[in-house]
Amino acid sequence: MTTTDTPPIQARGLHKTFRGGAAVHDVSFTVSSGRVVGLLGPNGAGKTTTIRMLLGLAAPDSGDSLVHGRPYREWPRPLQVVGTVLDAGGLHPGRTGRQHLQVAAAQAQVAADRIDEVLAEVDMTAAADRPINGYSLGMRQRIALATALLATPQVLILDEPSNGLDPAGMHWLRQRMRAFADAGGAVLLSSHVLSDVKQIADDIVVIAGGRVVADLPLADAVASHDGDLERFYLELTDGRAGVR
Amino acid sequence: MFRAELLKLTTTTAPRVALAVGAGGLILTQLVFVTVMPMLASGQIGPGAAALGDSLPTVDLSSAAAQLATLSPLGSSSAGSIGIAVIAVVLLGVLAGTGDYRHGGIVGAALAQPRRARLLLAKAAAAGVAGLVTGLAFALVSLLILLGTLAVLDVPVALDPLQIGGVLARGTGAVAALTVLGLAVGMLARSQLAGVLVMLAILLLEPIVQSIAQLISGALPVWAQLLPLSLANAVIGAGEFALNPAVAAAALLALTGGALALAALAFNRRDI
Repeated sequence: MTTTDTPPIQARGLHKTFRGGAAVHDVSFTVSSGRVVGLLGPNGAGKTTTIRMLLGLAAPDSGDSLVHGRPYREWPRPLQVVGTVLDAGGLHPGRTGRQHLQVAAAQAQVAADRIDEVLAEVDMTAAADRPINGYSLGMRQRIALATALLATPQVLILDEPSNGLDPAGMHWLRQRMRAFADAGGAVLLSSHVLSDVKQIADDIVVIAGGRVVADLPLADAVASHDGDLERFYLELTDGRAGVR
Repeated sequence: MFRAELLKLTTTTAPRVALAVGAGGLILTQLVFVTVMPMLASGQIGPGAAALGDSLPTVDLSSAAAQLATLSPLGSSSAGSIGIAVIAVVLLGVLAGTGDYRHGGIVGAALAQPRRARLLLAKAAAAGVAGLVTGLAFALVSLLILLGTLAVLDVPVALDPLQIGGVLARGTGAVAALTVLGLAVGMLARSQLAGVLVMLAILLLEPIVQSIAQLISGALPVWAQLLPLSLANAVIGAGEFALNPAVAAAALLALTGGALALAALAFNRRDI
């Protein structure tokens, strides 16, 4: 895994407004190599919009974002740089898990034998040839995670990756993220589950009302409120409507 | 990306259903054209040609013109009607364009290829290949029905191999172009329902618009010959059309290219 001086993820003054009034204002933060950063905030706070701007899926009105020093769109093979879980993976219900990964492998230009490796890693080998419409939410999430890991990326950007995972799955996910970061990777983890974030994150960025209201090491946040991350979070976000 | 887009089409049922429905519709249409119509004309069934008058199209399968018309992969429908094969072909394209939006696969595709115009080109190429395969299948179905019917009726083939090959090749190309046109409409519409409705409206309105234009001006104006279905039929050249196949092919390619350019423009500007 490559570790350079350039932070793997940089958001710099991201600003975007929508016709409905929701917006993201001047969002800036950095995710360094070897760190897991928890992106926290109420529903509609702007977490997903921020992630979409990082990944070139939405264009900011101003500001920019870089992945290992380059805008995401400028990477020739971006899936080999960033693995992503968004929208439960965009799985077509008529395909099997393996077929979904075959499409993803063709997109990422990785060898087909990698598919079996990631299926084994997310413990989905036995169900790989069943149609996705028969999968539970947790199984879909495992296939989405397998897709993110397929091209052995250096950065993981995960939006609510633990949705639907059973305790064993959540335990595996936490260990996998930790190992990924310890090997020099960078993880941006958007989640509502504070207990998960508390167990895995090194740093947290809290977004409320479309603005970054906290960006600090998790240990500092927890220490400032007698070990209570929930109280820290609620004090920051209380009274700030998620949908602006 | 091309291989990924092709895999998407081959690993879902919608394209196979479109192909099967189109082929079934084509077989039905062609069988009616080559069996029922001549029987109606001869009076073997119904009151006979004299009693039916102008409402019965003349079908003389011994003529080269009738045999050519039967070879069209879009069905040997007379001008002014829409064949099931045509609907299946354009809907195959629409489904190729909207499937990713319906199930969220567009995010994965855009993450893999952030340059949206290239992604759209890959989709168009995959839809074009699917259209070529479909067109070839439809062309072979038409050929087999014609040859089978002629053999049963003991009517000689009035076409030379070059004519047959020409219609089949042009037909296959026309089907591919219509599929890509459907893809462009699908990418513009994004919603599967909207894409299907828009495409059906375009197809169904074409003969109505042409009839009105003809009634007003006394002849079919040039612009009315440049509508997609008319262009596709003129490309195939299995009937009497004002445009020659080469001109029609250029116009159909321009129309398809224009629709793709519009789709690329919209795709590039939109957030996903």
